[in-house]
Amino acid sequence: MSKYIIKVNGNPYEVEVQEIGGPSAPMAPAAVKPRAKGTAGRQAVKTAQPAVASAGDVAAPMPGTVLKVKVAAGDTVKKGQVLLILEAMKMENEIVSPADGKVAALNVEAGKSVTAGEIMVTIA
Amino acid sequence: MSQKEKIESLKSMKTSIALGGGQDKIEKRHTEGKYSARERIDMLFDEGSFVEIDAFIESRCFDFGMQKKKLAGDGVVTGYGTVNGRKVFAASQDFTVIGGSLGEMHARKITKVMDMAVKMGAPFIAINDSGGARIEEGLDALSGYGDIFYRNTLASGVIPQISVIMGPCAGGAVYSPAITDFIFMVENTSQMFITGPQVIKSVTGEDVSVEKLGGADVHTAVSGVAHFKSANEEECIEDIKRLLSFIPDNNVSDTLYYGTADSAGRIIESLNEIIPEESNKPYDMYGIIEEIVDDGDFMEIHGAFAQNIIIGFGRLNGKSVGIIANQPKIMAGSLDMNAADKAARFVRFCDAFNIPLVTLTDVPAFLPGVAQEHNGIIRHGAKLLYAFSEATVPKVNVILRKAYGGAYIAMNSKTIGADMVFAWPSAEIAVMGPDGAANIIFKKDITASENPAETRKEKIAEYRDKFSNPYVAAARGYIDDVIEPSETRAKIVMALEMLNTKRENRPAKKHGNIPL
Repeated sequence: MSKYIIKVNGNPYEVEVQEIGGPSAPMAPAAVKPRAKGTAGRQAVKTAQPAVASAGDVAAPMPGTVLKVKVAAGDTVKKGQVLLILEAMKMENEIVSPADGKVAALNVEAGKSVTAGEIMVTIA
Repeated sequence: MSQKEKIESLKSMKTSIALGGGQDKIEKRHTEGKYSARERIDMLFDEGSFVEIDAFIESRCFDFGMQKKKLAGDGVVTGYGTVNGRKVFAASQDFTVIGGSLGEMHARKITKVMDMAVKMGAPFIAINDSGGARIEEGLDALSGYGDIFYRNTLASGVIPQISVIMGPCAGGAVYSPAITDFIFMVENTSQMFITGPQVIKSVTGEDVSVEKLGGADVHTAVSGVAHFKSANEEECIEDIKRLLSFIPDNNVSDTLYYGTADSAGRIIESLNEIIPEESNKPYDMYGIIEEIVDDGDFMEIHGAFAQNIIIGFGRLNGKSVGIIANQPKIMAGSLDMNAADKAARFVRFCDAFNIPLVTLTDVPAFLPGVAQEHNGIIRHGAKLLYAFSEATVPKVNVILRKAYGGAYIAMNSKTIGADMVFAWPSAEIAVMGPDGAANIIFKKDITASENPAETRKEKIAEYRDKFSNPYVAAARGYIDDVIEPSETRAKIVMALEMLNTKRENRPAKKHGNIPL
């Protein structure tokens, strides 16, 4: 018989372990464990709503009010960079750039109400 | 012919069949980033495990000069083998043999392995790469599709069915993948559509390329037809293997246990600080999911479609669970038609294959709007309610923040059958948000006030204090416990262990009538 102290979240537990022989425990499944992908495995597209019109158009995913515009026309932006904050569904939604590029058109300013699907920014 | 000659003849026949449409055609495919039907099989199955069936099948069509053509395997490779040691049946269409077109015998090869897969209770994987029906074979080819769809449907919920699109999949052919559980597509080399660009041009006048019409981007992000997009065929095959690791062989077998060094009771301190102080500030739900599951290993499904809800597989204490979580970062995590469809179908897959469901709830509402109403948010939202209510697998729900109105009920709530519902102290469980509720309940006070704006603010604050918390729901038993966020993993694991003997009997029926 062996005695062990096992700590779980800081609490020590004293356990006694005795080997009783007999058949061993069932085998674990195939050793081939698929790689953990974490963030890397995620689908890259993370725009709010896939824009149907053209790849650079950033459409409002839902009706709301523009709270803050964080870029100006002509700015160079990176994919995933926050372009503006759209307040909708009582949430300050970050609207991000779908691609690297320049702000070719900025159709909204703070305080403007937009409808779903309205093109707010165009990245070219 | 001597015995030796007979054996030599067999060998040469097999070698010739293995080449499909010929080495030159196979090499041409390589330049297009595509592998041959047999190379795909080799990548998928454990080395040397694949056993081919029906290699000698020939077309019975003698019209239009078809009798003169020798079609290796009639354009499809079928058989069985092991993938990471597990039995799997598969069919792989061979585009080098008259465009992988589907004829009568081609279809019969596929239905034969499908029948075997069901009988043996093993997953079925169909690799699609075909120009469509073999027109020369007329109705016999068309009936072949019917035979496949019929079996896809009968096998649905019995064995997992996976469709892999690695080339064209057009016309009627798309409906076999559509009926199966998961569709994989490869960027730039796979397309699915009912009618192609030429027909569309002649009928509606619209100009569109095949890739823009039915490529991997379109189907994984816009239409939601396909679940996974891979950069190339190798990655696609790896993704399929990864998916298989999370799902069982059939509807009566168990998922595999993957031993892990990740402690079941792991305390996650960071979760205590993940919810922003203001409830109108978003946070990233992925951060929570990846903290909770074993080793941070989460396989997302439909990752680019309806991103306001996240679905996928992870493991808790070594066993697979299906995770459904609202994403506050996208459309405030509200439920729209696509999100409801996406989650409902996943819930039903998990239920059919006995995979417990874990939901992480932060949902403000069903998405308001004329477009949503006119396109049937009622009909679509109903699917989610139906799917959760119908599911008899262990169901655990954790309410992180908002849980308002009908959307709260739809997200695996106690009243539609959740077994264990936990809430974080940040939870706001109520009939509606404080702003809206205060406007209705205190309408008279607000309009009668000398300073309506100020009174409104006060009343909203009053409502928020009284009702936007988890304790009203806890006092009624609508949630089972309020927990510290850091102990979420431990609490879910304990709940699932308690639930692993769950039995729930429902009235006998042929099947329900899910609102479609």
